[in-house]
Amino acid sequence: MSAKEKTMLIRTLLYIILTVLAVAFLSPVFIVFLNSFKGKLFISESPFSLPDKDTFAGLENYFSGLEKTGFFSAFGWSVFITVFSVIAIVLFTSMTAWYIVRVKNRFTKALYYIFVFSMIVPFQMVMFTMTKTAGELGLDTPWGIVVIYLGFGAGLAVFMFCGFLKSVPLEIEEAAMIDGCNPVQTFFMVVFPVLKPTAITVAILNAMWIWNDYLLPYLLIGSEYKTIPVAVQYLRGGYGSVDMGALMAMLVLSVIPIIVFYLFCQKYIIKGIVAGAVKG
Amino acid sequence: MASISLKNIYKIFEDGTTAVNDFTLEIADKEFIILVGPSGCGKSTTLRMIAGLESISKGELQIGERVVNSVAPKDRDIAMVFQSYALYPHMSVYRNMAFGLELRRVPKDEIDRRVREAAKILDIEHLLKRKPRALSGGQRQRVALGRAMVRSPSVFLLDEPLSNLDAKLRTTMRTEIKKLHKRLGTTFIYVTHDQTEAMTMGDRIVVMKDGVIQQADTPQMLYDKPLNMFVAGFIGSPQMNFLDAVVSIRDGEIYLILADNEINATPALGKEKRIYNYDGKRVKLGIRPEDMTNDAEYIKKNADKVITATLEVNEMMGSETYLYLDYSGEKIVARVNAPANEGEIALLAIKTDKIHLFDPETTMNILF
Repeated sequence: MSAKEKTMLIRTLLYIILTVLAVAFLSPVFIVFLNSFKGKLFISESPFSLPDKDTFAGLENYFSGLEKTGFFSAFGWSVFITVFSVIAIVLFTSMTAWYIVRVKNRFTKALYYIFVFSMIVPFQMVMFTMTKTAGELGLDTPWGIVVIYLGFGAGLAVFMFCGFLKSVPLEIEEAAMIDGCNPVQTFFMVVFPVLKPTAITVAILNAMWIWNDYLLPYLLIGSEYKTIPVAVQYLRGGYGSVDMGALMAMLVLSVIPIIVFYLFCQKYIIKGIVAGAVKG
Repeated sequence: MASISLKNIYKIFEDGTTAVNDFTLEIADKEFIILVGPSGCGKSTTLRMIAGLESISKGELQIGERVVNSVAPKDRDIAMVFQSYALYPHMSVYRNMAFGLELRRVPKDEIDRRVREAAKILDIEHLLKRKPRALSGGQRQRVALGRAMVRSPSVFLLDEPLSNLDAKLRTTMRTEIKKLHKRLGTTFIYVTHDQTEAMTMGDRIVVMKDGVIQQADTPQMLYDKPLNMFVAGFIGSPQMNFLDAVVSIRDGEIYLILADNEINATPALGKEKRIYNYDGKRVKLGIRPEDMTNDAEYIKKNADKVITATLEVNEMMGSETYLYLDYSGEKIVARVNAPANEGEIALLAIKTDKIHLFDPETTMNILF
């Protein structure tokens, strides 16, 4: 077999594997989308079939779901919590990373390792103690959960910002100092704009996670303020009855904002992840 | 007025390293001063202390009439051009240049006038809308200079601004910076490790080693009268040759006994009183490559000033030839007009009026 043929074979195999993976990843989303237009009785019977004239339910599932879940209120809380949590994570962790990278001493070194360590602590490990503490501190509100998300998101965000900041030449900040910037101006006018690709990556990763998170809002504020994942869960009635049609419809509605957000920002994800690894 | 006075300046880092040691220098208004030396000699640290980017451990720094030890960089009336240009990557060329003025709340039309004027001088008017990443190295360098210029500072600080450019562009920019200095009539302090830049650009050169000033003088004086072996070796390309020698004064004649030869240095050294203290003692003979010749006529007339060395390589430079020779185990270079036969013994006459003698222990020049 010639080298050219070998390359072709490898490439074909690669395409086949990637196609299978793409189908595997996309098919659940597609099935949910498909089923959101079927009558709820037909979903369990034939979940993989296309809607036909008997099974097609139009937008009925959507209307019923919106009514049953209080979707708009849940959507509002989801947006509120996600937006403010992401802003807090991006803003505070970028500042922290700047401090850690530029002020080199034992304290900042220890701080960095604490942040990195926090990434490997699973949520379930701290779930109950944290919920209890948060309740006692009065953090069981939509504002309070923003603080808790900041804590959970800080590890990865600080790690990513630190990696990128190490590749940003100090001279830029020194030039800003000579030009007349104070430290706050240096951060917001010079450092933060340079961090844009990483900031967007951090924002996307955290937005996807916070938007889709079920457990933390359920444990902390679930009884009073329902986010979309929590509200959708309430479509499961008693004795195992589930309104599958409305559930599918609400799932479709809940993934739309995050997909749109991802599509707008996806080019920055690779940029942000690679940034810092390669000297520009 | 922007004279600068550095009085007994020290920079001692937290780990105890002394980067700058008792640095004292008076820089006149409008002077072009070059700080030169090998890596780690403290030249950049000195510049950064003048800029206010490093604190001064000890000593006093005055810019104009003002002691500025604890004055913030932005209030020192200085501008700095960095080795890496340090342009703000997210701002256009125009904004990069205007940024310092915006922070000082200079009126917009005044900012515009100054930016366009600087851009015209530096020939970057057509680049004003571009981002730094869309510029070549030379263009970025001009923008960095422009950013400094628009502020009309009293002192320009330049930290190896040409070291990232290719050889041809470096030569062009060297001339540009010299012209700029004349045009602006401002004090320039320029750091480089390149002795060619130092020799061609500065009014005065400060040679540094291990944080200590070795010599501060005009380029010509540094070349002709180096105070020690370090300065002698650092200034000049190819660098000065150093040979072990013993001074021998016999019958009123001064001889330098080398490994394989003896040269008569009476006419050149006869009037130097200090040489008489070295009779019978070892010295280091310093001779620049161009102060040796293989010209047959000269050798014939100066037979008592000739050394014999094995020619290893000829390096043809076009107008001249570098001879790389082995003199009794020591490698020396001669800059001559005609090549010689490689592998053979070459005769070289030393121009004794150009020689330097150094004390091997103190490394100081014993003739000055």
